[in-house]
Amino acid sequence: MSGRVLEAGLHLLDRQLIDVDGRLAGKVDDLELELPPGGGPPVVTAILSGPGALSRRLGGRLGAWLEAAANRLRDGDEDRPARVSFAVVKRIESAVDLSVAKRELETNRLEAWTREHLIGHLPGAGDAPE
Amino acid sequence: MKRLFSIALGILTAIGGFVDIGDIVANAETGARFGMSLAWVVIVGVVGICLFAEMAGRVATVSGRAVFDLVRERLGARVALVNLVASFFITFLTLAAEIGGVALAIELATSVNYLLWVPIVAFLVWLVIWRVKFGLMENAFGLLGLALVVAAVALWRLGPDWGGLLHAATHPVVPQGEGHPTWWFFGIALLGAAMTPYEVFFFSSGAVEEGWSRADLITNRLNVYIGFPLGGLLSLALMAGATLFLEPRGIEPGHLSQVALPTLLVLGKLGLAVLLVGFFAATFGAALETGLSCGYSIAQYFGFQWGKFVRPADAPRFHLIVLLSILAGAGLVLTTIDPVTVTEYSIVLSAAALPLTYFPILVVANDPDYMGDKVNSRLTNALGSVYLLLLLVVAVATIPLMILTKAGS
Amino acid sequence: MRLSDLLGADVVDEAGNSAGHVHDVRLVQDGPLVGAFGASLRVDGLIVGRRSIGARLGYERGQMRGPLPVKLVTGWLYHDGRYVAWDRVRAVEEDRILISGSADDLPQPGPSS
Repeated sequence: MSGRVLEAGLHLLDRQLIDVDGRLAGKVDDLELELPPGGGPPVVTAILSGPGALSRRLGGRLGAWLEAAANRLRDGDEDRPARVSFAVVKRIESAVDLSVAKRELETNRLEAWTREHLIGHLPGAGDAPE
Repeated sequence: MKRLFSIALGILTAIGGFVDIGDIVANAETGARFGMSLAWVVIVGVVGICLFAEMAGRVATVSGRAVFDLVRERLGARVALVNLVASFFITFLTLAAEIGGVALAIELATSVNYLLWVPIVAFLVWLVIWRVKFGLMENAFGLLGLALVVAAVALWRLGPDWGGLLHAATHPVVPQGEGHPTWWFFGIALLGAAMTPYEVFFFSSGAVEEGWSRADLITNRLNVYIGFPLGGLLSLALMAGATLFLEPRGIEPGHLSQVALPTLLVLGKLGLAVLLVGFFAATFGAALETGLSCGYSIAQYFGFQWGKFVRPADAPRFHLIVLLSILAGAGLVLTTIDPVTVTEYSIVLSAAALPLTYFPILVVANDPDYMGDKVNSRLTNALGSVYLLLLLVVAVATIPLMILTKAGS
Repeated sequence: MRLSDLLGADVVDEAGNSAGHVHDVRLVQDGPLVGAFGASLRVDGLIVGRRSIGARLGYERGQMRGPLPVKLVTGWLYHDGRYVAWDRVRAVEEDRILISGSADDLPQPGPSS
């Protein structure tokens, strides 16, 4: 009957997400819970990451401002935070290891934007550290 | 043999890299006003930074994660955000102070106004962070910083009354004409200068940058326990120099040139030149460290890729933060605010925020999830707890004392 | 629903008495299979207590050994933790979670790892 027992706040929340290449991909800012159709306790279906998710944790006026800013930065009409489905979680230890590369995650948008529009233009940005 | 060489290099780099503009200003000003009566604070500060830097280095070495990274995991998003805001602000102020310090050092050497050097310094700081390999950067400026030893040489050449100096240091007495609150305030500033928050963030992130693993635990300890105290001795040499030259003349070093005075008088122009190289290296090196730390702290809180160990294009937000921080720091100095004043504020505010920085480190270093069997020993925990209590007292006393003594004036 | 909707919420029993605030949520890995992860994490219950600072430090439920003063202080702050199994939760509202039965009738959390 028993599987591994975790506490969401202690073992999962605020943990580092690491992609399949070992790159840092954000933090576990919140968890998405869904009630199964047949009843019973909720199940964790996804990790939520990014300013849109962090805003709820911070709460208050700061959180509301952060959420508004995050929604402005999103294209399209979706008002939801970046989502990492639990299907791509490989393992949970001191960090959360994912089975996909960063660029395939919704959380990568801001990083990609900064790279394309700002830092990428500086000479030497693509040079591997010697 | 190669191992011995790299250990020696690490220690020398730690010595040369220990002193920054905060230590220079704090030790010189304290020596000029209070003689050696506050030397004991430097010792307390050095022991403290050794204790917590070793912890932070061990955390990074064993867990592969930098300390600030883990602070959010342990304290939660909201508390860690307070920690981030305070730490970032102080580190940013220190960055501005260091940029100002580099410009002042160059002004001393060239007699060209420091403000003209600020944009060039800022550009160079950014360029070095952008292009120069981490290890090379650390070693180069650490070794160059050893030039500060000339201040100790000048002291020795002077042949002062060592007994008298030692007596003054071991029998702390508030000098005539100075108030007790001011004395304590300067003590707090000295402590803040010795234990500035960015040092632990940088040290721990640096361990990850250089890919330290368990095999490097001994190196970590040697660098810290030998390198830092010797670096502290350099600070005390500056304090002693000020005690012997500035205090009797009633000169209060409001300018870097006055700090250099003892060395100039004893060793002449050559000594001064070497000292200026030392000032330059110490402040430029610290500017690099604080610039990077501005990026480390924010990136590690939000969890996005940081570090020089990946291509800049793979850590765009990190590099953007570093770039903006350097620009803003330079901007602050260009408002013609006295860099020495910025330095004074940065060290005092550091002192006020020390518990915020060090408490999470103590907690994380005890967590077997991250540390495995390398958790803190009972002795380390006992010392760490005593220090935390001390830092709490200091933090609470800082702002009231600052107001009471009008920032020590 | 998000985890943050549960954390910090006031837990109130049928009589309107508060059992405290949600400090943490216990998960068990025995839900439906999901991708390469295996069985998904299912909510087992809520860890509830009176005060909310430092509950994350993990002293009372994890394996932290020291430093001693911190362990003592957090032990004193959290000795009154209680566990609400999910089957006692009747409704999750905006800032409150309503549970069946009485607030006085809740067991201790017990260690999690």
